[in-house]
Amino acid sequence: MEYKAPVEAYTGVVREVTIGKGNKSLKIGGENILPLHFFDQGSNPNPAKFALEVLDMEPQDWPEHLLQPFKDVISDPVKWAKRCEELGADAVLLRLVSTDPAVKDSSADEAGALAKKVAEAINIPLIIYGSGDDKKDAEVLPKVAEACDGMNLLIGPVQKENYEIVGKALLEHGHNASALSPLDINLLKELNVKLCKFFPGEKIVIDPESAALGYGMEYSFSLMERVKQIGIITKDNMTMMPIIADLGGECWKTKQAKETKAQGLLWEGMTALSLLLAGANILVLRHPESLKLIKEMIETR
Amino acid sequence: MVIIGENIHVIAKAVSVAIRERDAKVIQDLAKAQAEAGAGYIDLNVGPMKKDTEETMEWLVSTVQEVADLPLSIDTMNPVAMEAGLKHCKKRPLLNSASGKTDSKENMLPLAKKRNCSVVISVITDKGMPPDVDSKIESIMDTAAYANELGIPNEDIWVDPIILPVSTAGEGQRFAVTNLEFLKILEDVLPGVKSTVGLSNVSNGVPDELRPLLNRVYLVMLGKTGLYSAIADPLDKELMSLIKGEMAKIVELIHKTMDGEDIDLAALSQKEVEYVKTAKVLMGETLYSDAWLES
Repeated sequence: MEYKAPVEAYTGVVREVTIGKGNKSLKIGGENILPLHFFDQGSNPNPAKFALEVLDMEPQDWPEHLLQPFKDVISDPVKWAKRCEELGADAVLLRLVSTDPAVKDSSADEAGALAKKVAEAINIPLIIYGSGDDKKDAEVLPKVAEACDGMNLLIGPVQKENYEIVGKALLEHGHNASALSPLDINLLKELNVKLCKFFPGEKIVIDPESAALGYGMEYSFSLMERVKQIGIITKDNMTMMPIIADLGGECWKTKQAKETKAQGLLWEGMTALSLLLAGANILVLRHPESLKLIKEMIETR
Repeated sequence: MVIIGENIHVIAKAVSVAIRERDAKVIQDLAKAQAEAGAGYIDLNVGPMKKDTEETMEWLVSTVQEVADLPLSIDTMNPVAMEAGLKHCKKRPLLNSASGKTDSKENMLPLAKKRNCSVVISVITDKGMPPDVDSKIESIMDTAAYANELGIPNEDIWVDPIILPVSTAGEGQRFAVTNLEFLKILEDVLPGVKSTVGLSNVSNGVPDELRPLLNRVYLVMLGKTGLYSAIADPLDKELMSLIKGEMAKIVELIHKTMDGEDIDLAALSQKEVEYVKTAKVLMGETLYSDAWLES
């Protein structure tokens, strides 16, 4: 008897989110199959995208081999972002680390002005992340949203503590929200439920927190897997959003990545590949060579 | 359904102070209120009880028995406190609890035989919590066989499948469903045994104002699958109404949800909708979040 492989069909569809406008835009999500289940019925119209990360100040703790590709532009976020574009990134993530009260506590107005400059200078979409300090982000992110009015950027992290104030600003100025919760599916859903009361679900991206290989990556992996399963198999409306894996910073914090370049590239590349398998729709990296590495791995699939 | 009143519990500050200061009124008020509300047993959860064990247990048991004509459930992990408590009970008490752990089998089960009382036996073993229905059944069959050999008949065994908080990432919801399946087959594998659960654990970690709803719905669901008794709050009027059959429409809605029937939420009152949504969470159909009523 001939063997016929079973084919699954699913009911859930991940919302498709557009970041940016016109020819400066990209789409993520939109799939109605589990990650890489190409043998099942359904499709993923938007293969995973990759962003490279830019900081709003000179990095303090980056190893030489990570600084190297950006050495001449490292003190100029605009030029740095342009370099990322040249190096083949699908998007740039600008992280406003200097706004952190424990770093430079730089002002929301400065952050807004810089965000606008970067967004205008590049021809690929921009993602903007605050420092992660929920109180300061509640001041900074609304300013950023206003400065970049109408550009339809992806801005975050929107957290449980500041979703009302940040969410309203993003809505008013026409942006997408990256909703961050700490590695917990129940909290992740709760944040989406609360945000969705006034914010459109099709403009939300889930940031479930991405840990690095050897530093808890399996938690991120199974969480992303579960978000996709609950969305695509059981059609939970509050988890059918695309996922952002913000992993570069986590990888380059590790001792292993700092030690040697080869290790660092593999650390970032393997973490990215793993989270891609788990279902991430857009992944944030730091090193252009790990970006190249993972793109090659995908293309030779 | 037999309700074992949970309110005399050392975790409650007022109770622990009352025990320490021998304030009979606080304890007796709680005992009376629970008896009047329809409890079948009164649970005395005394914790580890490290000092003045014997004297304290004697005082507590007789203080409660002065005002409530109900059998008691002596709830402690300390075998000395357990025996001291059981010894003074006028009505045939419940030993709460034993398990399949070696030390529990060696200490608690012989005590249940010696005092000729009923005994709660949980599915936990030396290996910890059995992860699925089959291993839970296997575990309880082993421990029940051990108890039978000691001379404790199935009729005196109250099986506790152990409820976990539904709010714990994924696992809690899976366990909520597992326990329903477990109870459905329990009677077939161990004829004559009774069953019980520590109900409020299902809502541990959930915002306080939402806990009673989860407790109530889950108790109705457990009741449908044959649960005999529950350690629960008899002072929750709605909970008691539900199990007394005074809220037939709600009970029917919960049963329909369990059976996977389509329910038209638009035709229901807000309260009924909340009951249905909660049942869906407990059936593992909807992913839990603290905002489960809002979506």
